[in-house]
Amino acid sequence: MPYKILDKKELAMNEVWYKVHAPHVAKKVEPGQFVIVRAFENGERIPLTPVEWDREEGWITLITFIRGKTTMRMANELKPGDEILNIAGPLGNPAPMKKYGRVLAIGMITGIVEVFPIAKAWQEFGNDVTTLHVSPNPMVILEEKFEKAVSRHIVEGFDLQPGWGMNEIAGELVKRAVAKVRELLESEHFDMVLTVGPAGAQKAVFNVVKEFGIPMHADLHPIMVDATGMCGACRVTIGGEVKFACIDGPGFDAYKVDWDELIHRIGFYAPMERLAMEHYMKALQGGEQ
Amino acid sequence: MAVKRKLIKERVPTPERPAEERVKDFGEVNLGYTFELAVKEAERCLQCPANYAPCIKGCPVHINIPGFIGKLVEYRDDPDRAVKEALNVIWACNSLPATTGRVCPQEDQCEMNCVMGKVGDKINIGKLERFVADYARERGIDEELLFEIVPKIEKKGQKVAIIGAGPAGLTAAGELAKLGYDVTIYEALHEAGGVLMYGIPEFRLPKSIVESEIDKLRKLGVRILTDHIVGKTVTIEELLEEYDAVFIGSGAGTPRLINAPGVNLNGIYTANEFLTRVNLMKAYLFPEYDTPVYVGKKVIVIGAGNTAMDAARSARRFGAEVTIAYRRGPEDVSARIEEVEHAKEEGIKFEFFINPVEFIGDENGKVKAVKFEKMKALEERDSRGKRKIVGTGEYVTIEADTVIIAIGKHPNRLIVNTPGLKVERGRIVVDENLMTSIPGVFAGGDAIRGEATVILAMGDGRKAAKAIHEYLTKKRENGNA
Ligand SMILES: Cc1cc2nc3c(=O)[nH]c(=O)nc-3n(C[C@H](O)[C@H](O)[C@H](O)COP(=O)(O)OP(=O)(O)OC[C@H]3O[C@@H](n4cnc5c(N)ncnc54)[C@H](O)[C@@H]3O)c2cc1C
Ligand SMILES: Cc1cc2nc3c(=O)[nH]c(=O)nc-3n(C[C@H](O)[C@H](O)[C@H](O)COP(=O)(O)OP(=O)(O)OC[C@H]3O[C@@H](n4cnc5c(N)ncnc54)[C@H](O)[C@@H]3O)c2cc1C
Ligand code: SF4
Ligand code: FES
Repeated sequence: MPYKILDKKELAMNEVWYKVHAPHVAKKVEPGQFVIVRAFENGERIPLTPVEWDREEGWITLITFIRGKTTMRMANELKPGDEILNIAGPLGNPAPMKKYGRVLAIGMITGIVEVFPIAKAWQEFGNDVTTLHVSPNPMVILEEKFEKAVSRHIVEGFDLQPGWGMNEIAGELVKRAVAKVRELLESEHFDMVLTVGPAGAQKAVFNVVKEFGIPMHADLHPIMVDATGMCGACRVTIGGEVKFACIDGPGFDAYKVDWDELIHRIGFYAPMERLAMEHYMKALQGGEQ
Repeated sequence: MAVKRKLIKERVPTPERPAEERVKDFGEVNLGYTFELAVKEAERCLQCPANYAPCIKGCPVHINIPGFIGKLVEYRDDPDRAVKEALNVIWACNSLPATTGRVCPQEDQCEMNCVMGKVGDKINIGKLERFVADYARERGIDEELLFEIVPKIEKKGQKVAIIGAGPAGLTAAGELAKLGYDVTIYEALHEAGGVLMYGIPEFRLPKSIVESEIDKLRKLGVRILTDHIVGKTVTIEELLEEYDAVFIGSGAGTPRLINAPGVNLNGIYTANEFLTRVNLMKAYLFPEYDTPVYVGKKVIVIGAGNTAMDAARSARRFGAEVTIAYRRGPEDVSARIEEVEHAKEEGIKFEFFINPVEFIGDENGKVKAVKFEKMKALEERDSRGKRKIVGTGEYVTIEADTVIIAIGKHPNRLIVNTPGLKVERGRIVVDENLMTSIPGVFAGGDAIRGEATVILAMGDGRKAAKAIHEYLTKKRENGNA
């Protein structure tokens, strides 16, 4: 069933915002849940997170980081007034709503998108929430919204150096995240930590948090296909047991996650994803017939 | 009636594409009968009387088999008429003949008992059923008939919600729409069809056939809401506020995994994931289609049901060397005979009496081999009549860069967690009218049976539609009184 794009903006470098009419999701979605988007007839099903929504007006907003073929095609080909073929959801479990006390919610690069609804709801629920966005400076987003929604919002930005590829960015991201989290945990008391972002960076942050013994909740991003629990693509090992992130998660106790397995599984299709991207770029360069 | 016939012992064969050609693509393997060939095969049928015919008894939905076969012979001079009459007979019991003609295990059902088997080959009932449906679809005879038998649907003014667009849900929807109910199907995926769409491959059941069935439902006024996951997008409780009755046909979608070390290594798929990527997402057309699938050089498929055959034959079509590994012996293979034969023709190897105990990975977390324990069969039989098996303590390791686990599935978990819905061993519990523990909520197909068959799911859909009709008729009468 097609869903109309009401508005679209480029928020920052490679970060695209869509406002979409999807009343079935808007009516039900809770912080921590996600949707599956299939944007094109021959397209993939990809998980994305509703950032804001209006139950009455029936819209949700999505923010995508242009990462591979699907997110790039969406950015290039979809414009306001167009339709997204499928938006299924809401999927996954809502984040637990509890009074933790002082919370540190960390979003790395586009991970900050998923932190937003959860951090906002936790603050409204009576927690004292500090949010931390670790990101390359040109990709910093949602600053004003965070400043309104939580007690304190910190941006740990870094500049991109000429010639950097994904590996260098990931390296710098981990370095910055680890240092900043250590600094915060050494100087202040926190009762709960949340992370969303690339799995490698989540693992590095977890290793710091673990030293302080603070409870930690991690939203995981394994590869998903149906996201209704029928394929097992998203399986993760949690406390020695196999779980399906789409229906048992996506949030889990960070202390129980088998991080190395997750990192391996997420990277499995990288060569094919590159191929898909090259195929697309070639088609673009070939021009439209 | 009493026409003297001479016995024709051999089946009229249906043309098949040669193995070496078909393993290169996903086109259909069996090409089916032409009208002339179908009539020739139909003429072999002894026309056993309907109250005796063992084929009818063997059919889970009791299609009048000699009845439809007889029409092909009776109207042989007017093919369109012959097919229309035959289809009419089939439709009285089965609304998806193009599908069941292709995927039913006929050898265990109608064809098992055929009396012709005593003197020669049994009648090829499945292929005749398929022929009737295909010919009708290609000529638009099916739609013509549909709108003749439902000249004007008398609206009942009551609404029914159907959960899941597999054979159970589609059938229930069609029957209820014909009875004048306002029907809406809620389907989690982006396409309707259930296993027919995401599980069974194109080379066995072309997707255009499933699409045509769904198209007919739409023409009957059935509304299909894809992208709606009941239990998430909407709950059964909420559906009951809006609808007068609900039918659950959510299937058995949760794949069973093997509880062995290394099961989450890269390159290890459940059959559901592998087949969903290949069929629903069309990964065989990657990168024209965006969804990737990884098929290495050596593929092991674990299990020996229809799902295992479909996974193995799909992997073969990517050029891989494929081995099916089964913990029991050849006599316990549960897949349709035709599929096993096709798999063998296509060069798939079978290893029996081996049971996986460990998946061995390389330094990148990718599978490189599977360690199996050798098994042996005992004389003693289990509750399903299969010989019990025990480990021998001997092991064998087979190299593989892709492993597909096809050892069965459990009913869908999202539905089963509905408060007040009685469930046993993951299956929804129903009474003899297929009503669940929640009044007004009915269920059928794999959701109540665990993994079963298309025809049983379809039969349940029909039976439930009838029960819902009775339930709603009472509700209407009480409401009016
Ligand atoms: C619960 C959840 C919520 C998410 N929310 C957001 C969000 O709000 N905004 C956002 O930009 N991204 C989000 N993601 C990640 C997003 O799904 C990927 O960025 C997207 O699939 C990339 O697709 P692509 O074709 O552009 O890139 P590709 O080149 O196909 O893939 C690039 C990388 O994206 C990831 N990825 C690819 N396909 C999938 C898939 N089917 N499922 C999960 N991950 C995949 C893998 O890490 C892969 O290496 C979320 C992921 C999950 C699991
Ligand atoms: C690979 C494979 C090959 C097979 N081969 C054969 C064969 O040759 N012959 C044969 O007779 N049988 C075969 N079967 C079995 C047969 O397909 C099933 O028994 C049959 O499809 C069951 O029908 P169903 O309608 O109960 O469920 P399904 O076909 O499973 O359909 C259920 C539908 O419900 C949807 N759904 C689930 N949960 C929800 C929810 N919460 N909200 C909304 N929608 C939901 C699903 O997405 C799906 O579309 C095969 C099965 C597989 C997997
Ligand atoms: S049992 Fe065989 S011969 Fe008899 S009616 Fe059925 S198909 Fe014909
Ligand atoms: S994505 Fe298929 S089971 Fe989770």
